[in-house]
Amino acid sequence: MHGTLFVSGNSGLHRLHPLTKLALTFLFLVFAATLPNLLWLLAAFVILLVPMSAWGGLLRPFLRSCLVVITPFVISLSIIQGFFTPGETPLFHLAGFVLTGEGLLAGLTVASRILMALGGALLLMLSTRPDMLMLALTRSGLPGSLAYVVLTSIQIFPRFQERAQVILEAQQARGLEIKVNIFKRLRLLVPLMGPLVLSSIVDVEERAMALEARAFSRPGRKTSLLALADSPGQHLARWGLLLLMLALIGWSIWRAISS
Amino acid sequence: MNGFRKEFSTFSIALMAVAIAINIGAGQIPRAVGLPLYLDSIGTVLVGVLVGPWAGALTGFLANVVWTFTGLFPQAIAWAGVAAIIGALAGVFAQSGWLKEWWRAALAGLITGVVAAILSAPIAAYVFGGVTGNAGTDAIVAAWRAAGFDALFSNVAQGTMSDPLDKIVTYLIVWAVLLALPQRLKARFGNQSGQAAKTRARKRR
Amino acid sequence: MIRIKDFCYWYPGQDQPALDGIDLEIPEGQFCGVVGPNGAGKSTLCYALSGFAPHFFHGTWEGELQVGKRDVPRSTLGELAGEIGLVFQNSFNQISGARFTVREEIAFGLENLGLKRKEIERRVEETLALIDLEALAERSPFALSGGQQQRVAIASILAMQPKLLVLDEPTSQLDPRGTQEVFKILDKLAGRGGTTVVLVEHKLEWLAAFADRVITFSQGRIVLDGSAKKILADEKLLKLGVGQTQFTQAAAAVQKKKFIPRSRPLPVTLKQAQKFFE
Repeated sequence: MHGTLFVSGNSGLHRLHPLTKLALTFLFLVFAATLPNLLWLLAAFVILLVPMSAWGGLLRPFLRSCLVVITPFVISLSIIQGFFTPGETPLFHLAGFVLTGEGLLAGLTVASRILMALGGALLLMLSTRPDMLMLALTRSGLPGSLAYVVLTSIQIFPRFQERAQVILEAQQARGLEIKVNIFKRLRLLVPLMGPLVLSSIVDVEERAMALEARAFSRPGRKTSLLALADSPGQHLARWGLLLLMLALIGWSIWRAISS
Repeated sequence: MNGFRKEFSTFSIALMAVAIAINIGAGQIPRAVGLPLYLDSIGTVLVGVLVGPWAGALTGFLANVVWTFTGLFPQAIAWAGVAAIIGALAGVFAQSGWLKEWWRAALAGLITGVVAAILSAPIAAYVFGGVTGNAGTDAIVAAWRAAGFDALFSNVAQGTMSDPLDKIVTYLIVWAVLLALPQRLKARFGNQSGQAAKTRARKRR
Repeated sequence: MIRIKDFCYWYPGQDQPALDGIDLEIPEGQFCGVVGPNGAGKSTLCYALSGFAPHFFHGTWEGELQVGKRDVPRSTLGELAGEIGLVFQNSFNQISGARFTVREEIAFGLENLGLKRKEIERRVEETLALIDLEALAERSPFALSGGQQQRVAIASILAMQPKLLVLDEPTSQLDPRGTQEVFKILDKLAGRGGTTVVLVEHKLEWLAAFADRVITFSQGRIVLDGSAKKILADEKLLKLGVGQTQFTQAAAAVQKKKFIPRSRPLPVTLKQAQKFFE
């Protein structure tokens, strides 16, 4: 789907109510923040997230997205935490700085927290149509206009990328020299960005009129062509997940106080 | 709350969607020109300036939600609050008439950049272990750490090296766009002081 | 269907009216073309008929403008949407973007009207069939050609079952094939009866072939009004800067060289041209 991560499918994960999946995402976020160490975090990832993605038939895209997102964190954190966290176990010397075992472990722990949190979000995005998620949120009280803003910008930004590309190519064809000093390059930005931004703003008027013509600002209840499948079991599960999150947060606070 | 409601007409809602598309879609231009800038808040600042602080704040927040949705930069959601403040500030600067001269717009960008750097740093330092997941900025953070500074200071220092320039350029582009925007369209938004639409006596031909 | 009496409209901050004393009656089911030079008030007429002037553009107005029983300048846009449909040039801007398939995009207006799901489904299927979009129903509206997108835009408005369909240069960004797609639909609608069509269009050959009536605008006023074939053959169109159909131009050039008697009326359609040159 244009501009999103969503991979279509008909698995059980795909068919879960979007709010159930959103609740799971928040649970994984709470796991990321509260699980005590690297082992726990990696175990949770392998035991919960990986099988869930396999259930959705999304194992490959899920692991690939995770890898793309987490690799820069692993590198940055290994270097920054590894070299600049004091510790007793020197592993590696570089230009007077020492990579310590404790630092590397601390860095990888933070990276695994990030993996847990963003992995949950990625799984939600991979398995849920954005419009279904927004529909579920709208039914729970989110203003419809906010759903419109999110969904429309997701769908039209690739068009703006194309437009930016066209402007870049046109300027280059007219002999725009990229290899000049930094101040000249800064001044180049206005002729490049200006037309893109300006034409988009002028478009807004027509877009707003098109919305009005489709009864966008009509007061009163709105309906939907799309149907959301829910079940009492899922409803109960969402409450259960909420309680579990609260329990985890409570446990983590208790641990912090008692130590 | 009248001002709040006025900021959420169909017109400004349509503008917000386009603004977020600009935030995300225009990002390749500075890279193509070879400048170390993000320019990912032009749309947010534009909404703040044209519509008002509430709309600007909402645009900034939703822009980061959309970044997460697209999977291009899923960690963006952590900085959604900072993006909201950037949008709100733009609204306030415009209401104070700071978008009229280019140098005051640049000053507004400078202030926004410093505020953004200070607010973003603790998120990087405490949530992401002192990094952002962007190789360029993380290299600068590493340099500060190597010089002996702590995580928070290094992230603030990195931010103040890149954010003010980024936001100054953002504001200058917005200033130039305002200059070129047809008066009729500007009057439709009417967040800028001293630009009240003139209603002249009407006559028939 | 449409009753306009001495209607004037001024955009905000403008001294000159964009519409200046318009008197116009259009009966139900008529296919009415509107021509005129740039800035003559054609678009403003579209906006006035659909209520965007004054409800969207603000500004001031006087006179009477009724569509059906609806007093347009005294209604809200929310009330007018669905009763009067407006389609314009840029097909990309008319796709709401809030829906992911053509089918759902067409349903968007009906959802905003708060119709029941069954009714939405029924109307969407009906419209898909009418506009011949069934094959594209599951595609993303952003993955279509300009002509296909414009058809989706028209379908999205038609699904709301407006009594009046107003189109402001819907084919100006389309290639000949896209133009043909749009005109075929309008012909179907007008032929089927019930829907009144007001179409601003520069492509005179197409108007000559399909429209019942043509109105000519200049400086905010109606200067010519009559059957499409009569108005499009009128020499005054040249002076007004509207131009003529290719058939009329060719015929006039030949007539000037006295190959064909002056008494023979100038053609505006291909059929008429064939007869003219026989």
